[in-house]
Amino acid sequence: MDILKREIARRVFAYELSRSNYATAESGERSPKYILTPTGVKCNRVFMVGVLLEKEEVSPDSNFWRIRVSDPTGVITGFVGRYQPEALESLLEIEPPEIVSIVAKLNLFQGETRNFLSIRPESINISDRKNRDFWVIETAKRTLERVKRMKEDGEDDIKLALDIYNPNPKEYLEIVRKAVEAVREEAEAFAKGEEVEAKAEPVGVIEEVETEETEEELKDKVEKEKVEELKLDSFEFDEFEFEEEEWDLSDILDEE
Amino acid sequence: MSEREKIDILTERVLSRFKGREIDPKEVSKRLKLLIHEFKVPEEEAVRTVTNYLLKELDVSREEIVTESPIKSISEINRAGEWVSVKAKVMQLWDTDSPNLSQVGLAGDPTGIIKFVIWAKSRKPEVKEGKSYLFKNVVTDSFRGRMQINVNRNSDIIELDEDIGLPPREMELIGALVAIQQNSGFIQRCKLCNRVLKKGVCAVHGKVDGYDDLRIKGVIDDGVSYYEVILNQENIEKLTGIGIEEARRIASEKLDREFVLEELRKKLLGYYFRISGSKGSRYFLVREIEFLSPNVVEDADKILSETEKLMEEI
Repeated sequence: MDILKREIARRVFAYELSRSNYATAESGERSPKYILTPTGVKCNRVFMVGVLLEKEEVSPDSNFWRIRVSDPTGVITGFVGRYQPEALESLLEIEPPEIVSIVAKLNLFQGETRNFLSIRPESINISDRKNRDFWVIETAKRTLERVKRMKEDGEDDIKLALDIYNPNPKEYLEIVRKAVEAVREEAEAFAKGEEVEAKAEPVGVIEEVETEETEEELKDKVEKEKVEELKLDSFEFDEFEFEEEEWDLSDILDEE
Repeated sequence: MSEREKIDILTERVLSRFKGREIDPKEVSKRLKLLIHEFKVPEEEAVRTVTNYLLKELDVSREEIVTESPIKSISEINRAGEWVSVKAKVMQLWDTDSPNLSQVGLAGDPTGIIKFVIWAKSRKPEVKEGKSYLFKNVVTDSFRGRMQINVNRNSDIIELDEDIGLPPREMELIGALVAIQQNSGFIQRCKLCNRVLKKGVCAVHGKVDGYDDLRIKGVIDDGVSYYEVILNQENIEKLTGIGIEEARRIASEKLDREFVLEELRKKLLGYYFRISGSKGSRYFLVREIEFLSPNVVEDADKILSETEKLMEEI
């Protein structure tokens, strides 16, 4: 009896994931499916921490939900149905917008004119800003490692990805920069907020009230910025989004 | 690799063991081809069969021919049925009650730890814990999904003067908890053997009285590899504030023990942790675990300057 190896949850930004449209050829009947991304990582499972923007039941009482999840680089669509009971149960309790962590399998819908990658969450859980920041840092690191390997000759997956996507490494470096700068600014703002609080503590009651206010304001501002940032994202990257109505979802539903 | 190239390589392997003796390579290739192509014998078996045939034909004993399996480090052993040599230190010897086994235990080198089995039939002198040996010409095998090495008649165990290092005992992991597995949460264990009860039934002792415990079997994933971890009552209480008493309170309030797991899941799943401990054969043994508090600004600056550098290089 062989214990099956677990698939590693890869770290890929939404920008890259939404541009992945190649499924590796299956060698055996039971071999898992992998999606090859432009920077050459084969994924069967991903882990992400981002913002759940929307959830919407595909048709009334179908208990089959479409979700949209964003990170600082873009948006990815996901579907949650009765075959993902754990994710479904959590999703019903979460009201967007909310920072969530998601462990998901990938699904490539191969249409006549183009392919469409979506995620199938195995689990969804409410998360926090600190966790989201580290996910961005970690995903940036992994993406940089892959971009570096693109320059070297060698690994088959990367060669294949170069053949299929002919990616521009600079495009992915830009994405890394954008994502990291976004969380850096926010983290700095928060760190300052904590400093103010720490300094104010030993002082009188009145001032304490004041600092509470500023902290409150700061949080408010950061929240607003976050929303702004999200808006920006969807504008900048909208050109690649699908008009969902175009898609005949019965295909996806049938497949369930 | 073409079929012909494969036969050539295997022929070369057979011949390399008979250096200095006159053997017709064509004869070897012909026999290998017959066994592999006609009779569909696995390659390793075909090589063994042809080697045995030559031994008989030339009337030489097995000891006289060259048997040099490549020296591999333990982390490189990942396929069953290969002949290898391994330099490793005996870490642990296990009790065996089978008359077929001489010794069983764990051996390690700086890259990992592997189980070794010395068959009684191999008639080898006993190895001692803490000493380093060259396990020459041993066969790799897979047992219940784990690799092991088997010492047989054709193997040699040579004691080494050098001391082979072991993998670092203490490791630090940073990764996200991506899954919580079955038998986690507010569980009950058998009073006799500590096994987890399923619906009040112990797999060995049947219906027994149980005692309460908290534990989580989970998977920590850093995007490059994954580690299975077990968190005990103490770890869980430190992270979530839910100890045995609180778990009892939740379970009785909601009339459902499962609810405790639900609470723990909400507090832990999808979060990053910093964990120190040591790697066992299957589980990563947790010594300390805490929620990761990253220094985002510092990390971000490092990444940004590296990105700058790469931008210029490309």
